[in-house]
Amino acid sequence: MSSLEKRAWLTLWSQCPAYCIYFAIQVCLPTLVPTLLTHIACLTLVASVHALSYIVGLLLIKRGERGENLLEDERDRAIDGRATRAAYFVLLTGMIVVGVFMPLDHADSSGGWKIVNSALFFIVLSETVRQVLIVAGYRRPRLAH
Amino acid sequence: MSNDVKLLRFLAQEITQAELGKRVGITRQTVAAIEQGRYSPSLEIAFRIAHVFGKRVDEVFHWQPSGDDGNG
Repeated sequence: MSSLEKRAWLTLWSQCPAYCIYFAIQVCLPTLVPTLLTHIACLTLVASVHALSYIVGLLLIKRGERGENLLEDERDRAIDGRATRAAYFVLLTGMIVVGVFMPLDHADSSGGWKIVNSALFFIVLSETVRQVLIVAGYRRPRLAH
Repeated sequence: MSNDVKLLRFLAQEITQAELGKRVGITRQTVAAIEQGRYSPSLEIAFRIAHVFGKRVDEVFHWQPSGDDGNG
């Protein structure tokens, strides 16, 4: 497994559970985060768990790859480029929705947190799309060309 | 596109995928993908691989046009 693919798996495994829990709390149990302080505390906790699990995973990958050639080559760059292009359009679409349409009817009642969470959702979604396409690119040959 | 990279590796004193990758400038995983036909390398990498084995590119990589690949 190439270094890029390992990092893609790592990002998916560290990011998806953390933000799934965060968005589940935001959507299903909004009473758990009633104030600005609890909003920030919840987001900080989730981001910290994500960062910590990513760093630990990265250290384990580095340890396992000792002595191997870690340089990326043209295939890795092609797969990464294709995935990044697709993720960019997801992010672009999300930012248009969040920045252009949502302020017109969502800014009043929630103090802007719906907009913040929606922006965060599209950032996480675009990164997830990128990592999924990287993993798929190594498994499905047509995506790599 | 098919290729004889695996065969040529064994004929060239059984050099490993990692060693071929190092000499060409690609990873072992990419050499494996090329051998299995899962990745078509760039022209430059194809030339470099052929150069390692002392062959021409068309002696290492083979392309057969399918029915849809007409030029008219």
